[in-house]
Amino acid sequence: MSAEPLLRLDNVSRIYGDEVQVHALDGVSLTIESGEFVSIVGPSGSGKSTMLGLLGLLDLPSLGELWVTGAAVSELTDAERSRLRGDVVGFVFQQFHLIPYLDARRNVETALLYRGLSSSARRRLAMNALERIGLADRADHRPVQLSGGEQQRVAIARAIVTDPALILADEPTGALDSTNAANVMEIFRGLHSPERAVAIVTHDPAVAASAGRRISMRDGKIVADEIVRRGDAGSAFGGTLGDPSATSTSGTLS
Amino acid sequence: MSNIRDLLGVASSGLTAKLTRTLLIMLGPIIGVSAIVAAVGLTESAKGDLQQTLSQLGTNLIKAEAAGSFGTQDPTFPEDVVVRVESLSTVESATAVINIAGVVTSPYSAADSYYTAFPIPVIAADSAFLDVMDVGLVSGRWINSFDVSTAGRAAVIGAGLADEFAYIPGTERTISVGGFKYGVVGVMDRVVLEPTLDNAVVISPQAADRDFDTGLEATTLYVRSDPSQTLVTEAALPVAINLGGNEEVNTSVPTDALESAAAADTTLQAIVALMGGLALVVGGVGIANVMSISVIQRSSEIGIRRALGHGRGLIAGQFMLESVVVGLFGGMAGAGVGSLVVAFVSRSRGWVVVLRPGLLLMGVAAAIGVSVLAGLYPSTKAARLEPLETLRLG
Repeated sequence: MSAEPLLRLDNVSRIYGDEVQVHALDGVSLTIESGEFVSIVGPSGSGKSTMLGLLGLLDLPSLGELWVTGAAVSELTDAERSRLRGDVVGFVFQQFHLIPYLDARRNVETALLYRGLSSSARRRLAMNALERIGLADRADHRPVQLSGGEQQRVAIARAIVTDPALILADEPTGALDSTNAANVMEIFRGLHSPERAVAIVTHDPAVAASAGRRISMRDGKIVADEIVRRGDAGSAFGGTLGDPSATSTSGTLS
Repeated sequence: MSNIRDLLGVASSGLTAKLTRTLLIMLGPIIGVSAIVAAVGLTESAKGDLQQTLSQLGTNLIKAEAAGSFGTQDPTFPEDVVVRVESLSTVESATAVINIAGVVTSPYSAADSYYTAFPIPVIAADSAFLDVMDVGLVSGRWINSFDVSTAGRAAVIGAGLADEFAYIPGTERTISVGGFKYGVVGVMDRVVLEPTLDNAVVISPQAADRDFDTGLEATTLYVRSDPSQTLVTEAALPVAINLGGNEEVNTSVPTDALESAAAADTTLQAIVALMGGLALVVGGVGIANVMSISVIQRSSEIGIRRALGHGRGLIAGQFMLESVVVGLFGGMAGAGVGSLVVAFVSRSRGWVVVLRPGLLLMGVAAAIGVSVLAGLYPSTKAARLEPLETLRLG
């Protein structure tokens, strides 16, 4: 095991535009170790999505450096970055983003393509992943034949089928009713393990409360980075929602 | 290698997802390749058939016509023209024919005015005629030595005229030639090299001389040459006929006309092949168009695949392969359709089907080439899509 953290942002800025420059991220430094369960919260325009793109290797820093398992991302070619993304990160999106013309199993298998696996090995791994989230019996259903909650579970199976070190979720419960949302969050809690970090970008305080660590953002900067204790879910709820500055008074994690 | 296998799977599932659209864009290469294969295949089948016909007819028949010196009316050859010509070592056989002008020939007196307007050609020919022309009789007999010695009014008619005349073998018939009643003794088969003979009436030179005062000098000569020396013979004929005189002789090789007619057909088929190529190119533009729209429609799929770790090259490969598969299957279907057209038309015309495998392969290769060009733009566009923009995060 390398001593390098899973993810390390070193004074990262992401600047859009040439003449009128927008600092979507402004000098952010952050470390995420494997096995952490992190939530990233903040109002719209705070830089959460930009952060998600960078953590997911879908984007590159304008300034500063992002290190993933010790590799400096801006020094990688596009192909190397794609490979690293496929190996390290599993995505879960708010809108599920399943491929509409493929059934559940083949959607999960999409994450296993171009890895030199035989089709039978791919099928076996995909079925295992679907079993883990309890949808093996829906393997041959296409997305339109599944409920929203089921689609999101298929997306989770697709994210975990490669056994990634980081699950990166973007408002995973945003398009679900409360029952399905609770169900999906339960699965997320189960995914989190000493070898696997989970990072969830969310508006939802209840979702954020599930995480062990909450990173609050505003105007492209991290305004709070705190440990949330399980029992504190209720208080974290009130604190974050009402007054972000109040939370920064509680101890931040260095 | 396993990447290519995976790419094939991805491309085929992308294509089968919208099967109707896939089949529609396949129409371009299908139409283009089938037109090319059909046009070239038919040209080659026709050419093969022509070669067969020519080898049956023999390309060594030379026709010589008396043109006289400047201003001569009704020019003729010397009476001993056949002897003169046969003295050439490259001549195998020869026959002299007298074209009898200004004689109205009619099967029925009621039809005289029609046959005055559209005259039936009347010729006088000798016994060597059938051999030299390599033509047989459908029925009856040729003009025999009795007819010749008595200058009897016996006539052999062409197969075309016999049809028009409703000639029935074994039935006694007469035909009015310039007012004289000639008995029809036989029907001559069609002469491919000299189609005017199909409607002609053939009588003996002696009868022609007596009834129409033609003399025995021939106006036209048909010569069979040594097959390897046709050009030499054709060049030598005027000298042999004239023996130093200043009479003009026009010579021609009838099979040349067939060949040039076939060449004209080839031009037409080249145009069809060209239009097939054009259809292929337009089909390619269609593929590029539809694929570009498909890239926009599937931008979220592209973003997902990028997020799952598929690099730009693999995304480009996926769309390029979709385009190539359309070209490959469209090309193969087109080659099949084109082959069917060639087989069907050739059979209906009694030709031997000539379909080179190289032609079919070339057609498929052309379709693939066009589809590769067509796939360049959409696949590049797909590879350049930014996943962050298509996934709409946050």
